[in-house]
Parts: sequence; C-alpha cells; structure tokens
Amino acid sequence: MSALASLTRKPWIWSFVAAGLVWLVTVLFTGGASALGLTLAALTFSSFAIIVGTGQMLVITLGPGNIDLSVPATMTLAGTLALKFMAVDNSLILPGLLVAIAIGLAVGSVNYGLIKLLRIPPIIATLCMSFIVQSTAIWSNRGLRIKPPPALAEFATSGPFGIANVALVALLITIIAWIFLERSIYGRWITSIGQSMAAARMAGVPVDGARFLTYVICAVLASIAGYLLASFSGGAALNMGAEYLLMSIAVVVIGGTSVAGGFSNVPGIWGASLFMFLVVSMLNTYGLGAGFRMIMTGIIIIAVILLASRRNTSLT
Amino acid sequence: MMRNQLLLASAAALCLAVPGFATADTSDKQIALSNNYAGNSWRQAMLTSWEKVTGAAVEEGVVAAADAFTTAENQVTEQAAQIQNLILQGYDAIVLNAASPTGLNGAVKEACDAGIIVVSFDGVVTEPCAWRIAVDFQEMGRSQIEYLAGRLPDGGNLLEIRGLAGVFVDDEISAGIHAGVEEYPQFEIVGSVHGDWASDVAQRAVAGILPSLPDVQGVVTQGGDGYGAAQAFAATDREMPIIVMGNRHDELTWWKEQKDANGYETMSVSIAPGVSTLAFWVAQQVLDGVEVPKDLTVPFLRIDQDNLEENLETTQEGGVANVEYTLEDAQAVIAAASE
Repeated sequence: MSALASLTRKPWIWSFVAAGLVWLVTVLFTGGASALGLTLAALTFSSFAIIVGTGQMLVITLGPGNIDLSVPATMTLAGTLALKFMAVDNSLILPGLLVAIAIGLAVGSVNYGLIKLLRIPPIIATLCMSFIVQSTAIWSNRGLRIKPPPALAEFATSGPFGIANVALVALLITIIAWIFLERSIYGRWITSIGQSMAAARMAGVPVDGARFLTYVICAVLASIAGYLLASFSGGAALNMGAEYLLMSIAVVVIGGTSVAGGFSNVPGIWGASLFMFLVVSMLNTYGLGAGFRMIMTGIIIIAVILLASRRNTSLT
Repeated sequence: MMRNQLLLASAAALCLAVPGFATADTSDKQIALSNNYAGNSWRQAMLTSWEKVTGAAVEEGVVAAADAFTTAENQVTEQAAQIQNLILQGYDAIVLNAASPTGLNGAVKEACDAGIIVVSFDGVVTEPCAWRIAVDFQEMGRSQIEYLAGRLPDGGNLLEIRGLAGVFVDDEISAGIHAGVEEYPQFEIVGSVHGDWASDVAQRAVAGILPSLPDVQGVVTQGGDGYGAAQAFAATDREMPIIVMGNRHDELTWWKEQKDANGYETMSVSIAPGVSTLAFWVAQQVLDGVEVPKDLTVPFLRIDQDNLEENLETTQEGGVANVEYTLEDAQAVIAAASE
C-alpha cells in the first residue's frame, strides 16, 4: 500500500497512467488484435519527441523564462544539411552525424550568446534565431528532398523485435540525460539555478557555464532528432520540425517537469511522448473529426497536467 | 504626319519581331507577387518557376518588373500590410497567393480602388474586384475515387489521408472524395487521418491507425503524403494498397521502383506549382486590356502509368512535377473561361 502511495506521488506516473489508458481504449476497438502493432508504432514514432523533449526539459529546468523556440528550425537545418552532405553515400553516415551535431553546437552557442551578451530574453532570442536558421535551411536547399543513405534509412526504420533502432537511440539518450541530471554535479547546478539563480550564484555555481551548456545540449539533441527523423522518413522537408515546437514543450509539461523550473523529470518524457502519439491514434481509430480531436487533445492534456502538478501545490 | 506613321509602323514591326508577344503595351508595367508562405517544397518550386518565367519576360521587355515578396509568418495581418506597401510602391498589378480567402478583402479592395489589377491564385480571395485562378479541388478528390472504381470494380476499403485541419483546401478535396464515395457506393472509407501534406506526419498518422484497420485496398491522398503512407504500409505485413500519389519526386520514384519490381499500378494528381506563372500571364493580359473573366480554372497535372517515366525524368530531384505556363497557355485558359 505504501509502495502504491509513494508511486502515486511520483509526478511522472500520471503520464504513464494516461498513456496506458489511451492504449487500452484504442486496443479495445479491435478487441485486442491491434495491441502489438500499436505498441511498436508508439515506441517508434515517440522517439523523436523524446529526444527533442529531453533537450527542452533541461532548458525549462533553468527556471522561469527559459525556453528554446529554435528547436523546429534546428531540426530542419540539421536534417537538410546532413542529408545534403551525405548525398546518399553510405560511407558518409558518421561524418553526416557530425555535421548535424556541429549545427547544434553552433545554434546553441549563438542562442546563449544572444541571451547573455545582448541581454535578450530567451523567448525572443531563440525565436529570432529560429528565423535565421529556418531561412538558412530554405536557402541551402530550396525545399528539395534528398534521400538518406540506404544503410542509414535501413538503420532508422528497422531494429530488434520490430522496435525501430531510433527508439533504442532515444532510450540511450534519456538514460545518459538521467545520469547527468541525477548523478552528476551538472544536474545539481541546473536544478539549483532553476530554483533560484541568485542563490545558486552565491553558492558558487558557475551559472553562465551551466546555462550555456544547457542551451547547447538542447540544440544538439534537436539536431540529432532532425538527423534521425529525416533519415527515418525518407528525406528532410522544410516543415518537418514544425510540430515539434509545441510537442517538445507539451511532453516536458505533461511528463511532470515543473514549468517554473528547478525540477526536472526524465521518465515522464517517455510517458508523455507515448501518450501524445497514442491520443492521436485513439481519436483517429474512433473516427472523430479533426475539430473534436483537437478539443479532446487539449482537454486531456490539461487533465494530465492538473493531476501531475497536484504534488507540487500540496507541498507549497 | 508621314514620319509619325513610319515611326508607328516600325514600332509595330519591332513588337512583332519579339516572338510570341503581339503587343508590348505592358512594357512599362510593374507586377508584384504577394506570397503568404514559402516553407515547403511546393511553394519553393512555385517561387522558382515565377523567377524563371518572369525573369525572362522582364528581359524581353514584356513587363518592366515582376518582383516576388513573401511574408515571414503566414499571417493575414502581415500580408494585408504587405499589400498596402505594394500599393504605395506603385505597382500596376499584384499577383496574390492569399493567406485567407476573406481576411485580405479589405486590402484587396484598397488596391482595386487605387487602380491596381489583383489576380489571386491557389489561395484565392472572394473580393469581387479581384481575378481568381482557382483549382477545382473537389474534382481532384472525386477523380481519385473514379480512378479507383476503374481499378477495383468490386470496390473495397479506403483509407483517407487528409491535409492540414482547418484549411479550406483540405475541406474541399475531402468533400470531393466523399462525393466520389457516394457516387461509387462499393467503396467505404474505413479510416481517416490528417497527414498535413507532409510525408513524415502522414507516415506517423497512418502507422498509428493501421493496427486497428481491416484490410485496406486503396489510399486516397491530397499530395505530399503518399510516400509516407507507403512507408507505413511497408513496415507492416499488409499487402500494399493502391496509393494515389501527389506528383512529388519521392512519390514518383517509389512508384517507379514498385512498377519495375512488381508491376504496381496507380496514378498521381496535383496542381503544378508553376500555376504562379499562369497568374503572371493573366495579370499581363488584363494590363494589356484583354477582356478576362473574373473566374478562371487551372487544369490539374495528372500522371498515369504510361507517362510516369517521362514525368519522373522532368521532375527535379526532390521536387514536385511541374509545368511552367506560357502566354499561349494563359490565352487558352482565358478563352475557355470566356465561352
């Protein structure tokens, strides 16, 4: 009983409960026949939101006002340039990944440069950056879709037991992020910065270094997600990042991470990403109209957030 | 007197010497393109076609200028402000791909009142003073079902992939598809997802609904989503249905691969992004004093099994199958609408 009670106090549990419920309702439609197919599809297609969401979570943890709106543009630019660089050549897969990561490093550095040196609020700095990055993506390839190298496409879409390798990459990334947050000094730093930047600074936390690193990690994760998504779906498209702006923020919030910062939650990203995919599948399966679908998605998200945030309000 | 006549005659001869352009009364006219969005491959191809065709037209002296302007945020207010700027800059005609069918009517009316010709295309406006080069999207949806009825006389289950929810084009194509299903009641739409005209979104949405669907014999689409749907089907052990394609290079390439491997048959239909050049010539004709009806219709660009190869060859790698229109094409469209 106490184990159950302590479980319900975990803020990430609600996203998993919601994902499980939605999964059950969807599977009931076919009397259970779709259970395996739906599970595999959910694991595969959630992985991009998981990778992007992990980066966004670190930024949001830095405290009020911290957010990275350049995520979709960074994904698009990284996917576009990496695929153009690889030019369908299997031997350039790793250098292509390095190109994507380099783009992430550059975007993240400039983002924080604007925030720190020019004292522009993050929401405006990253929005401006996203215009520059998106325009660079348009200018660099004029929207032409270049195919990924065959070996990379094969890697992205296949994997053991029908689980695509991209889901395993997402798992690896979240495990590393969890270790960083929970077991390293960096995790303590960004949590303390999120709770009170002034206090963190007085306690000797290298505030600027930690914030810089966080924005860079977020942009690099967005680049990796763009690289994988472009390889998975047969080429980069100019609007491929568009829905990952709201998605990256939604999975962070639904996952139980505090929007006010200072408290992050890695497992919740998984529950929330699975939930976001499953809820669309459920409403599609029951054949509901787009308008009703969006209203339902909104209501369900608000309900999950309310449940997940109960813990925080009861403490304060 | 004599001298003037001579001058006139030589001027006329000069005009005739420029091939294809009988009159050059528009040589001092400036045309602007007001475009609301550039963030996908179709729009990029549209702008490239505009640049290519109008660039040549300016060089040949058909018009004085044909500048393209694109708004950054795809917002009605932003485009309205843009149109007001174009009025102040003194353009003679504005070719418009509008962010909203009604939201820009005020700005369009202002332009008309200032004596400016407004020709809207693709995203057309309802303001009566403007010309409209519209696409019969309903027919585009209906023709897909008609094609499938020819291929599958016994009918079957269909999966519908829609576009971006809340956009006029999506409602129109979908209405056409549903009208087609009423006409051929042997078909049933067993599932419907929104693919947002994007391959990756369609792939995800189809993969999400497929486990709960019965066998699917046909997939009706809106363009840009066919390849993603094919990928989602390929990831399962289902038989590949007939997926109607939307003229994108990746869709045509996939179709060609399947055709060579197992004789896969389908068709592909969409609007050529070069419709912007048709709008350009229509604007030029209106400026030239030609009587042009306010409502014109663009022909579809349809690709079938037997002309797949030649279309694939002329389609830019990673782009969209395209047609750039000439002055003669525009005159033919105008003549067809005047009847």
